[in-house]
Amino acid sequence: MIAWIYRLANWTAIVGGIVLVAVTVMVVTSVAGRALLGFGLGPIPGDFELVEVGIGIAIFFFLPWCYLRGGHATVDLLYMHMPPWFKRTVDTFSDVAMLAVWLVLTWKLWEGMLEKKEYMETTFILQMPLWWAYAFCMVGAVIGCLGYVAKTLTRFGLASEPAGWTVEANAGH
Amino acid sequence: MSSIELALWSFPILLLLIFVRVPIGLSMLLVGLGGAWLVYGNFAPILNQLKQVTYTTFSNYNLSVIPLFLLMGQFAALGGLSQALFKAAEAWIGHRKGGVAMAAVGACAGFGAICGSSLATAATMGQVALPELKRAGYAGGISTACLAAGGTLGILIPPSVVLVIYAILTEQNIAKLFLAAFVPGMLAALGYMIVIAIYARLRPQEMGAMAPLPMKERWAATVRTWPVIVIFLVVVGGIYAGIFTPTEGAAIGAAGTGIAAWAGGGLNRKTLVGAIMGTAIATGMIFMIVLGAGLYNTFLALSQLPQEAATAVASWGLSPILVLVAILVLYVILGCFMDSLSMILLTIPVFFPIIMALDFGLPPEELAIWFGILVLIVVEVGLITPPVGMNLFVINSMARDVPITQTYLAILPFVASDFIRTAILVAFPGIVLFVLRL
Repeated sequence: MIAWIYRLANWTAIVGGIVLVAVTVMVVTSVAGRALLGFGLGPIPGDFELVEVGIGIAIFFFLPWCYLRGGHATVDLLYMHMPPWFKRTVDTFSDVAMLAVWLVLTWKLWEGMLEKKEYMETTFILQMPLWWAYAFCMVGAVIGCLGYVAKTLTRFGLASEPAGWTVEANAGH
Repeated sequence: MSSIELALWSFPILLLLIFVRVPIGLSMLLVGLGGAWLVYGNFAPILNQLKQVTYTTFSNYNLSVIPLFLLMGQFAALGGLSQALFKAAEAWIGHRKGGVAMAAVGACAGFGAICGSSLATAATMGQVALPELKRAGYAGGISTACLAAGGTLGILIPPSVVLVIYAILTEQNIAKLFLAAFVPGMLAALGYMIVIAIYARLRPQEMGAMAPLPMKERWAATVRTWPVIVIFLVVVGGIYAGIFTPTEGAAIGAAGTGIAAWAGGGLNRKTLVGAIMGTAIATGMIFMIVLGAGLYNTFLALSQLPQEAATAVASWGLSPILVLVAILVLYVILGCFMDSLSMILLTIPVFFPIIMALDFGLPPEELAIWFGILVLIVVEVGLITPPVGMNLFVINSMARDVPITQTYLAILPFVASDFIRTAILVAFPGIVLFVLRL
């Protein structure tokens, strides 16, 4: 089950990457179309909106994998010199807090989606219902919840990570 | 407790969380939510905002430039462009004393022009240049140090993710910031080369030299870097000329480096997935911090602390330069422990109004740009300061035979050159600003 969730997070991130590449191709096409305005071509209508929606979805899809891989920025200076019980306490706190925060965010995203649907808000140019974008993001957010549950269960010793699992050293910048 | 007091108390609590190693973005989120709850007196208003905040933060058009620049950098690393840059720089100066190390710095500068991230620049150029430095007889310490320092050029030379964040936080023009960063970035590369030249005088036994190449081969090597030059000119030139938005420029850059990687034989299904995963992790990390910082700054703004602090500091009548230097020193100290983006997102909302309220004899826009460039430089120093400069770790993990203490020692002259450059730019804002006045 845990291994399955980790694989799911991996695939989710790849799908997010495909969305990002698709956004890239769409933007380049749109700019090319705008440059060739004189030849009867033009920019893709609503290209700005498509960028916003696409990138939003991609980021929701990236986050579960980022957390499971230990990709979030941390300050390791004191931690390195702390006894094991201290490290365990901090890691447990982080995992539980992340899970709690993410459950709240997902719940609120859901309510936000229902509101957008109720008020029939759409994007400006394409008139695309905004709740569609929220719905796609919900998929990433829910997979995030699954991932953080898996991580927390592992932390409490109720489950174990997939064989050969490693976390990255600080992937920062 | 008044909201100002709450905001003041939130700093030590936030730092405590961050320093025991709760992820930085999560720490800011927790403290921001908690603070907003206390200021409002109940949870309802902040929960209500959360219905939109997450989605609007992640789908912000201005921020969409970040994943695209990250993807561009990932593709750039695949394409053999780093190899071409290093070979070209080495062809021109490799035969001089210390020349191969200087070539590594020069190649980093070139790579920085198509990559907005320091770690990616250090990692990519390290792979190319470390074996060559070893072959040319360079000692371990100077080899790792010149690449760690050179890596910071990834972010000092535009495009730069840190500048994008600064521009968004302070509502400045990204194109102008990129342009203003160019000359200081070049000065940084020059400063590192001077350090290597001095090092070569003092310790000639630690450096070898290559045989000089005939002119024809030098030009041939230079010509092979054309994709880098074209991509840089199109992306940064196009953004500056207003032909396209920064996001569009980044997308074109990602497509350009992607095509270059494919043409160079570096792009297949396996490396594509690797590039996507690298982008996913770096993007996730940045946006978690952006989300956390957004909520934390919402709380700070509610508490009125940034405005109060700006008025208070202005009323003390300190010399503006003194305040500026104090802020820069604080960044250097903080930078020894914390990554640059977290620092900027955390502190700019407080420091920027303070600086803008002081009189430096510059128009507001120029002041904002000058301060941005100075902050960019000092936060990047944090990447190469012992004990936890990330670039040092990245390079050292690739050169296992070099003890980290040797790298620590050899990096110090490079850090000194950063400080000297910062002092020069503080004293002469014109060096940063003259390109904008042309």
